[in-house]
Amino acid sequence: MRANDALTGLVLIVLAGIMIALTASFPAFPGQKYGPALFPRILGAGLIVCGAVLVWRGVAARRAGAPLVTFAEWTSRPGSAMAFALILGSILLYIFASETVGFIPIAVVILAVLFLWFGVRWLVAIPTAIVATWAIHWFFASAMRVPLPRGWLNNVL
Amino acid sequence: MDAIVLAFGLVFQFKVLWVIAASAAFGMFVGAMPGLTATMATALLVPVTFFMEPVPALGAIVTATAMAIFAGDIPAAMLRMPGTPASAAYTDESYLMSKKGLLDLNLGVNLVFSVLGGLFGVVILVVAAPALAELAINFSSFEYFWLAALGLSCAVFIATEDPLKGFVSLLLGLIVGTIGIDPAAGFPRFTFGNVDLMSGISFIPAMIGMFAVSEILRNATAMGGVTEKIQQQVGNIFRGLGPVFRRYWKNFIRGSLLGTLIGALPGAGADIAAWISYAVSKRFSKEPEKFGTGHIEGIVDSTSANNSALAGAWIPALVFGIPGDSITAIVIGVLYMKGMNPGPTVFLQNPQFIYAVFIIFVLANLLMLPLGWLAIKSAKQILRVPRNVLVPLILMFCIVGSYAMTNSIYAVVVMLAMGVLGWLMEENGIPIAPAILGLVLGEMFEQNFMTSMIKSDGSLIGFFNRPIAATLGVLTLATWGWMIFKGVRSSLAPPVRESIP
Repeated sequence: MRANDALTGLVLIVLAGIMIALTASFPAFPGQKYGPALFPRILGAGLIVCGAVLVWRGVAARRAGAPLVTFAEWTSRPGSAMAFALILGSILLYIFASETVGFIPIAVVILAVLFLWFGVRWLVAIPTAIVATWAIHWFFASAMRVPLPRGWLNNVL
Repeated sequence: MDAIVLAFGLVFQFKVLWVIAASAAFGMFVGAMPGLTATMATALLVPVTFFMEPVPALGAIVTATAMAIFAGDIPAAMLRMPGTPASAAYTDESYLMSKKGLLDLNLGVNLVFSVLGGLFGVVILVVAAPALAELAINFSSFEYFWLAALGLSCAVFIATEDPLKGFVSLLLGLIVGTIGIDPAAGFPRFTFGNVDLMSGISFIPAMIGMFAVSEILRNATAMGGVTEKIQQQVGNIFRGLGPVFRRYWKNFIRGSLLGTLIGALPGAGADIAAWISYAVSKRFSKEPEKFGTGHIEGIVDSTSANNSALAGAWIPALVFGIPGDSITAIVIGVLYMKGMNPGPTVFLQNPQFIYAVFIIFVLANLLMLPLGWLAIKSAKQILRVPRNVLVPLILMFCIVGSYAMTNSIYAVVVMLAMGVLGWLMEENGIPIAPAILGLVLGEMFEQNFMTSMIKSDGSLIGFFNRPIAATLGVLTLATWGWMIFKGVRSSLAPPVRESIP
């Protein structure tokens, strides 16, 4: 997704504005002129200047006929758009469900679904998903002692 | 002298050598796969090295990146697809050579001059870093402030096509870096009462997000393309190298020197070194008309340059804690995690670590010769690994790797957020490297800035009172003047060429 520079610039200006507004609540220390608000404010000001130049540039490009937002060619292919969504969805699923469900089931599901969507055959996809999950679990949980969430398998492992 | 003996003892252990060999194979594979970069290899290695001693951890990164930068040349010559961005400068030239039936010579030149260029860079690293460290020991907050400022300016100015967007990227990185406890007063900024955010945005998950997840998103949407078959047979790659070396040894020296220097400049790494040295080679060639027709000359320059840039990037990273490229940006994060804050004091207190890094650099480059030959010979098999199996596996590894950094889901959230941010930035022509530099250097930059402000009581004259600080300051301001001049000129005449999405 490629937005016109004017849009990008506007987003940056708004972000910088919010940030500078937030620094208003930062404490000032008596006897010291420069507090924790100084650096973020300088950065925010810089971002506003950059945003303004981007807006100016974007408006010029818009006058020359550039579109406001261009979508990459893949967004019109349902398969690719779905692949993109699946990748983001997998990470979100892990964030929200891994603590309850546990690493092993969730990793097998994520891997298997992605393999199958990308066109790996069932006979390859399912065993690979299981073996890979086992390998990752072995490396991180057993060898490196990372407390991967156990979830449903809490009593089994 | 004791430190050198100690360093040899640290490196020549079975475990360390095993880690080096394994990461060499890993680096070769990642480098040879188009779409997977050397920086990504580093980001993926960090969760694994997190649990190691400092020397094998650094050894893994040094070795894997050196291999990856060379291995990127293989698919460039065979498939016209650079394995890493560092090979992009001469991909067409390499491919044209192999079409002319010169694949063997091309790969031989790429391998041998990568090794030689790498070693050249290491020599400069070994000579320059300790000398610079001695100079840097007397630096105060003013010098460090200007060094960081100059480094960040370089990242914007040299490393990007569009300085304005480079600057946006840098500011975004610095802003993300301000999240958490502020370095001067200890006040929690932009944390919204969240305990995880108090310690700041975890650096490694952020890195994995920006370099690996954004790349996975791009790969996922490009899946299902036709995989090209490799037709050519590889013969004896070492035949005919003698004449090339005799004819083009000056190109080798020039490319390596240029590569090391560009590598040492913050923000510009192996890919930019290759582009610039290729252009320089063409500019000063006696037969520039042959460039772009499958001519070896420019390849000698640029394949030496991208490998020497790797070592060059470690010079400012080790001496000042200012990364020379995005790989060393990650390395600095690793060093901080290991409690070895980079800077001149490491050279005094733990010189054996520095020497160990040097030794590993030499080892890695020597190891590149046999392993590179093996990778070339088995390129057909390596390039046949299906990407539709690889991409989900890398994704899973990223998730678990991030998780392992904090042992909490917070790191996965950071990874996702930074991955989407990185993807959006690249889509809109905003480069990632300056943001990473901003994120790494932010705290040090702010701390030195605040200390200097307090010391000089807000007077900017104080920033120029010491000779080295003044020189660095003037250099920084000159860079800025030039940048603004160029920026104004380019926005008056908007560039016609769109950057590749």
